[in-house]
Amino acid sequence: MNESVHVSRKFDEDLGELRTHVLEMGGLVEAQIRAAVEAYASGEIGSVKDIVEADHRVNKFEKIIDDECVHVVARRQPTASDLRLVMGVTRIVTDLERIGDEAKKIAKGARRVHEQGMLNVPRATDVRHVADEAVIMLRQALDSFARLDVALADAVIHADAKVDAEFKAIVRQLITYMMEDPRTISTAIDIVWICRSVERIGDHAKNIAEHVIYIAEGRDIRHTGKEE
Amino acid sequence: MQTASATTAAPALKAEARDFNFFYGDVQALKKINMPIHDKKVTALIGPSGCGKSTYLRSFNRMHDLYPGNRYEGEIRFYPDNTNLLSPDVDPIEVRMRVGMVFQKPNPFPKSIFENVAYGLRVRGEKNRRALDDKVEAALKGAAIWDEVKDRLQDLATNLSGGQQQRLCIARALATDPELLLFDEPTSALDPIATGAIEELVHELKQRVTILIVTHNMQQAARVSDYTAYMYLGEMIEFGKTDDIFIKPQDKRTEDYITGRMG
Amino acid sequence: MQANPNDKQAQIRALIARGKLKDALFAALGIICLGIGLVVIFALVADMAVKGAARFNLDFFLNFASRRATQAGILSAWVGSLLVMLVTALTAVPLGVAAGLYLEEYAKRNWITEVIEINITNLAAVPSIVYGLLALGIFVYTFGFGQSILSAGLTLALLILPIVIVSTREAIRSIPAMIREGSMAVGATRWQTCRYHIIPYAMPGILTGVIIGLARAIGETAPIITIGALTFIAFLPPVPFSELADGTRAGLFDWVMSPFTVMPIQIFNWTSRPDPAFEVNAAAAGFVLMAMVLTMNAIAIWLRYRLRKNIKW
Repeated sequence: MNESVHVSRKFDEDLGELRTHVLEMGGLVEAQIRAAVEAYASGEIGSVKDIVEADHRVNKFEKIIDDECVHVVARRQPTASDLRLVMGVTRIVTDLERIGDEAKKIAKGARRVHEQGMLNVPRATDVRHVADEAVIMLRQALDSFARLDVALADAVIHADAKVDAEFKAIVRQLITYMMEDPRTISTAIDIVWICRSVERIGDHAKNIAEHVIYIAEGRDIRHTGKEE
Repeated sequence: MQTASATTAAPALKAEARDFNFFYGDVQALKKINMPIHDKKVTALIGPSGCGKSTYLRSFNRMHDLYPGNRYEGEIRFYPDNTNLLSPDVDPIEVRMRVGMVFQKPNPFPKSIFENVAYGLRVRGEKNRRALDDKVEAALKGAAIWDEVKDRLQDLATNLSGGQQQRLCIARALATDPELLLFDEPTSALDPIATGAIEELVHELKQRVTILIVTHNMQQAARVSDYTAYMYLGEMIEFGKTDDIFIKPQDKRTEDYITGRMG
Repeated sequence: MQANPNDKQAQIRALIARGKLKDALFAALGIICLGIGLVVIFALVADMAVKGAARFNLDFFLNFASRRATQAGILSAWVGSLLVMLVTALTAVPLGVAAGLYLEEYAKRNWITEVIEINITNLAAVPSIVYGLLALGIFVYTFGFGQSILSAGLTLALLILPIVIVSTREAIRSIPAMIREGSMAVGATRWQTCRYHIIPYAMPGILTGVIIGLARAIGETAPIITIGALTFIAFLPPVPFSELADGTRAGLFDWVMSPFTVMPIQIFNWTSRPDPAFEVNAAAAGFVLMAMVLTMNAIAIWLRYRLRKNIKW
């Protein structure tokens, strides 16, 4: 990206603020996922309320950043890398907001799973493992945004396949649980939903990485497969 | 110079600069410019003040021949006949009969509206009143000013508003049916509404004539042009489709200029 | 140190007051200087009007010169002046305009044009008597035009030629380059540009220059005396196609070869008479001459206003 400064310092400040807000929002969302996964793994479902609460803040962030983007477009008519940044940010923010929603779903799912009093939560560590990978993908996607690091963004895009595969493996295992003991079905379905959310988080992280590549290089690699 | 998105299925060329150098006396104002002008398209020249974009534009109708000490080197090929516009064998008047120009400040002659538009035809020896009437009307319609002036063709052109004057000047250039129309910052003296009208007109005109436009206003270049060339210090830095230039320029200098960064 | 806002305002007001005082002083000085000039001119004209008042009647304008002051008139003088001016204008305008146009629109900028330009400026400074000497040699003797209206007209034409050239060039220069470029850009030649634009748009300035030149020429005495204008003329130049004394008909241009006198010479002649009665004539004629000059200037102003009304960029 372009390191030299604009003639208009205010423009630089506006864009700088935009970037900072995206990273703050990203940090918030990341913490939200961690807390949700932690609640699920540990059964400390008291934090679920906070996680649901945090989603309001994420949503508020989305609106603020969207507003800022609209203002930059209206006042500055950004072009080239500036234009791509603004367009990219509006898309990234959408993905972050969706991740926030998924985190909320995980937290609520965790509450249901634990309220059913099923102490022997199957595959908790596996779920945690895949969730960690999704969180890492998100953090790397955000890092790649902060530094406009195309190589890192590429790595995120490739990592998504792994998360998808692990999701499928967990679902297969859950199916065997359900076949062995039908009483676990309702819990298992909740866990499938949780895993599904984790898998979606991975997808959104991948989208963010794609937006980063667009911002950095002007290449739109959405829907093109991994090959360029 | 870099050519963004190589000429895949590029439209026909109207003109083409080849290794074009220009000198004001001993000072080289344009350096080795190579650039195509696509037929029936709008090509915008952008760049900071003093980058040579107006100098380049004014080479296409040999305006520099009016003043002593100017020198061309290289070629500007004009198609379909493949004439070198800069050749000493080509009379600048012949060039100007094929290449029209609209100036920065509206410059109608202090004569009637009709005479302003008819002038180019009179210069070509047209005396038939009927033919003059018809062509003047067609040109005024072409410049989207007919409805505003049809009832007062004998009024002084200089009493029109700035935007109307500029459209009148466009009509004056159109009357002689040029193949290429040069616009030298045509809206820099106009208000936003008048500017919008001129831009709309440029958009319509490209159905029938190739347009080369110099503009200080990058957004204007983005709005009206199909191709954009960025010039800096007498050099052509980057030429490409306008979308490419404004979304992902290849050259850092282009990027810095169009995003308003310090060089 | 934080200034009290009231102090600041007071300071600004004191500053403005000082500035305005200077404004007023200079304006007063200007009015005084202007007044001196106006008073002198007004006094001169009034003096002539009062002195010459006794002669202001139709006879004064319709009588020829006479030995008796009360019967002497200025008929041959004002007719002579007008005819000489006609020849002068018809010669100086085409020559001066063509020369100015060439220098501005056609000539290449090099040392030759530089030299020509400097010399034109110098010509304007040549004393008029020198033109008279030149004309005596060339027009009167070499070309054999004699002491005629033609000789006088050509001499004065030479005299005002630099004025016409310079005013033509100034008028052309005041036409913005974009008008010229606008004309050339549609494919006009230089001459088409001059004919349709440069000359018409420069016309008000050119006319002003011509009339100011003529106003100067009409008052010139020295060169006319030098070429030998007569001081006592009791006849008018032949009207074209009129019957002459010898029974033949005058040609269209016979008048140009006629002897003549002009207003300033008539005045000069009267003032050099011993009879003080002629001084009244001189004053009256001086007033008429003054009126002629002022009329020409008025026409110049009016023409400039009329023609410029439609020319703006």
